[in-house]
Formats: sequence, structure tokens, C-alpha cells
Amino acid sequence: MGSIITVENLGKKYQIRHQKEESYTTLRDTISRGVKNIFSSNKTNKSANEEFWALRNVNFKINQGERIGIIGRNGAGKSTLLKMLSRVVHPTEGRITMEGKIASLLEVGTGFHPELTGRENVYLNGVILGMTRNEVQRKFDEIVAFSEIDKFLDTPVKRYSSGMFVRLAFSVAVHMEPDILIIDEVLAVGDAQFQKKSEAKMASISKDEGRTIIFVSHNMKAMVNLCPTSIYLEQGMIKSIGETKGIVDEYLNNNN
Amino acid sequence: MSQKRVIIIEAGKENITYWRDLWSNRELLYYLTLRDILIRYKQTLLGIAWGAFRPLLTIFVFTIVFGRIAHLSDNGVPYAIMVCCGILPWQFFSNSLNDASNSLLNNSDILSKVYFPRMIFPISAISISIVDFVISFGILCILMLCYSFTPAWTIIAIPFFLAIAFTTSLGAGFLISALNVRFRDFKFIVPFLLQLGLFISPVGYNSTTGCQIVPDKWKVLYYLNPMAGVIDGFRWSVIGSKAPLYLPGIYMSLAVSFFILFIGIRFFRKVEKNFVDII
Repeated sequence: MGSIITVENLGKKYQIRHQKEESYTTLRDTISRGVKNIFSSNKTNKSANEEFWALRNVNFKINQGERIGIIGRNGAGKSTLLKMLSRVVHPTEGRITMEGKIASLLEVGTGFHPELTGRENVYLNGVILGMTRNEVQRKFDEIVAFSEIDKFLDTPVKRYSSGMFVRLAFSVAVHMEPDILIIDEVLAVGDAQFQKKSEAKMASISKDEGRTIIFVSHNMKAMVNLCPTSIYLEQGMIKSIGETKGIVDEYLNNNN
Repeated sequence: MSQKRVIIIEAGKENITYWRDLWSNRELLYYLTLRDILIRYKQTLLGIAWGAFRPLLTIFVFTIVFGRIAHLSDNGVPYAIMVCCGILPWQFFSNSLNDASNSLLNNSDILSKVYFPRMIFPISAISISIVDFVISFGILCILMLCYSFTPAWTIIAIPFFLAIAFTTSLGAGFLISALNVRFRDFKFIVPFLLQLGLFISPVGYNSTTGCQIVPDKWKVLYYLNPMAGVIDGFRWSVIGSKAPLYLPGIYMSLAVSFFILFIGIRFFRKVEKNFVDII
């Protein structure tokens, strides 16, 4: 059994603009800039765009059933890495090879619609996350039981408390059966009791069912509990890979 | 479980399993379409009845405007049916294109968090319009019953013309939704174009009979608008020989619609990878 995920020389470049502009361009801007460039030979306009590598030269391998944590400060490139693994963002260089079905949880409740009922949202969200309708149907009771909101299943989600909302959303997410699960800081939902329950569920998903998990969190305790191995990212590069305890210590020492 | 698939993501490379991914996400297409249909009439008194009421109102207004005020030649065919044959395909196209153009922006939260072929969004938007069309068509049928009007046998050709309208809106929907991600200007351009299109397409008039609204020398230009052929064809299908068909126009519409689809797919696939970076 080889590695299930291979990341080679991965990098993502963004252009940062140093003008006071909206993040999206309008036709007018593009045209006027084009016209300006024709008439003026100096490239002052160009220098306003700065290249920024959110992630560069990242290499690692993950084996089947491994649980890998990714640690790093804000802006270290954790989310960019997860987004590229989830195929949401396309890399600028390098390549990723993955085997099997991938599910990514970059956010709790992606695609939940406030006007729809809990029941409708379970199906919608499940299918958006990559389950088939039959899978959702089969797991429906389990999902509802886990979320503890069975009484409000036919209430529009907009009337839910925020706790109820995330509980339902989280339950849908953890009942997927992918080969590779990518999670971005979604463990911190609900009250303490629900958090404990979800942490236990996460652990059982990987330990008992042999799934590969990639996990990003700022919660170092959860990290040590859940992931034996971790990757430490700093300023878009891998600083070290190793046992989570050591990595966490290194990270904490570096940032004190 | 199914066999393990190997996914390779490489910088600058196309996703080779794109079309297979699109097909395997058909259930998602179904649920996104269902979602938009369900939420449209949530918290309304009439509920799903609006689905029939809305096209009914549109037909009513258009019939008054084009039938009573514009005084079109009707060749003995009831005005309402004449006008309806223009409104139905036009409304389908107009709703499709409008919704498809905004589909990526409206779903940007999903777009930036989960991967699946992005073409799902415009396709789903157009699927909703198909549902609307079916309801409107039911109204046309009731209208024909009321006027005890027997449609020509050519009515079986309707799916063909609808397919051209579908192809056109799909192609244009891909193109404009992708452009809309970068240039929000299209949010304003599309409604304007559709308003213009309503008058340059034979919705409220008949391009082939009567007072020859379209002069012969302009016909080639006129049928560059694929909806002109679609609406002519649709009217011919229902009414028959009283609304004769201008065949070169139909061929033209067919060719243009496939050209638009081709361009649309090419462009969409090219820029799709960067949607999340610029949306």
C-alpha cells in the first residue's frame, strides 16, 4: 500500500494589488487600463501588482489511514493548501496525486439554505458534499440522531438557533464516507458537550474506519489528540514534518 | 464501494475526467434545481400556485400589448395563441439566460468551498426554466382548448425548436456567467440585451407573413439571432401553414446556436479554474 496522497513541488501565486480598487474588475477599468498602456510607455501601472506566493515548494506524502495535522500561524498557507487539496483552488505550479473519494469540509454548512427545512437541507448539503441521494437516505436517521434536533426537522433553518444550525450541519458532514477527509477548523462547533461528541466521532472515523484525514486547527489539544503526525507551515513553506507533540512544541516556542 | 479513482491535479493542466465528473454529479444538479424551485415560493400565500400564475400573468400582459394595441395580422388564428407561441420560447430563453448569467455569483459560497464541475450551476439555472416552460405550455394547451383551436400535426416538432433555444441559452449562459465572475458589468448588460432581444425577435409579430416586417435583404442579419428561428419554428409547429417557415432562417439559427455553445464551453472551461481566485 503506497501513499494515498502525494504532493510534489506545490505552489500557489496570487497577485496583490496596491491600489485602492475593488477585488473584482469592471470592463471599464480593463479597457481604460488597456488604453493607458497603449499610450504610455512607462510601466508604473504594472508595478502596482505584486506577486505573492501563498504557498511554495511544498512536498509531502500521506499514507492510507494516516491522520495529518497542519499547523501554522494565520497566513502561513494552511487554508490555501487545503483548498488546493479540495480542488477548489487550482495550483500555480506542482502537482497533487490522490487516490479515492475525497470530501472536504472547509466550512460547516456549505450550501445550507435558510428558507429550507432541516430535512431538505440535510439532503441538499449531503449531495453538495459529494454523497449520493441513497447514501443520505441510508444515513438520515443517524445524522438526525447525532445532531439532536429531531424535533425541528421540518422547521426552516432560518428559525434555528446558531447552535442547532451548526450541529445539524456538522452531523451531515461527519457522516460522509470518503477515503480522504479534509477538515478546516470545524471542530469548534456547538457547546462543550457537543464538541466532545464530535471529537470522539472524528477519532472513530479515522481510527476505526481507516480513513485518511487532513486536519487544520488552532486548537493544539485537539490536534495532539487526533493527529499522530503534523506538518508545520511557515510563510508558505514547510518548516518541519514529524510527530505532532514535537511540532506543537516547536510552534509554540517559535511564537512566544 | 466503487473502485479507487486516482485524481491528478497538475498546475496548468485540464481535468481530463471533467465530463465524467459532470455526469456523476447529476444528483447534485437535481437538488440544486429543486432547491431553487422550492425557495422561490417559500413564505408566499399562493405557494406553488405562483408557478402557474406567473406565466399566466405574463401571457395576459403580452397578449394585451401585442394583440390589442399592436394589432397584428392573425390569419384567423386567435390572437392569444399567436402571441403565446412567441412568448413561450422567448420567456424560456430570457429566464434561462438571466438566471444562468447570475448562477455562479449567486452560488459563490458553494463555489469557493466545494469542488464539482462548475457547469452544474448554469445548467441548473436553465433546468428551472424548463420546468417553467412546461407549466407555460400547459397554459397554452388550456388556451387552445378554450378557443377550440386544433393545433397542426407539426406540433411534434416543438422539442426540436426548444432544443435550439436550450443550446443557445446554454452556450450564452456559460459565456456570460463566466464573464460575470470577473466583470460584474454583465449584471446590467444582460437585462438590457434581453429587453432589446424581445423586440428584435418575432415575439409580438410574425416575421414571415402579413406586412413583411423584415425586408428580404435584412433576413440574413435578422436570423443571426437564433431566437428568431426558434420562435418562427415554434409558431409554425403550433399553427401550421398559417405561419409558414423560412427554412434558411432555421438552418441559420441552428448553426449560430451551436456556434455559441461551442464558444461558451471553450471559454468556460478555460477560465473555470480561476473562478475562486477572482469571484
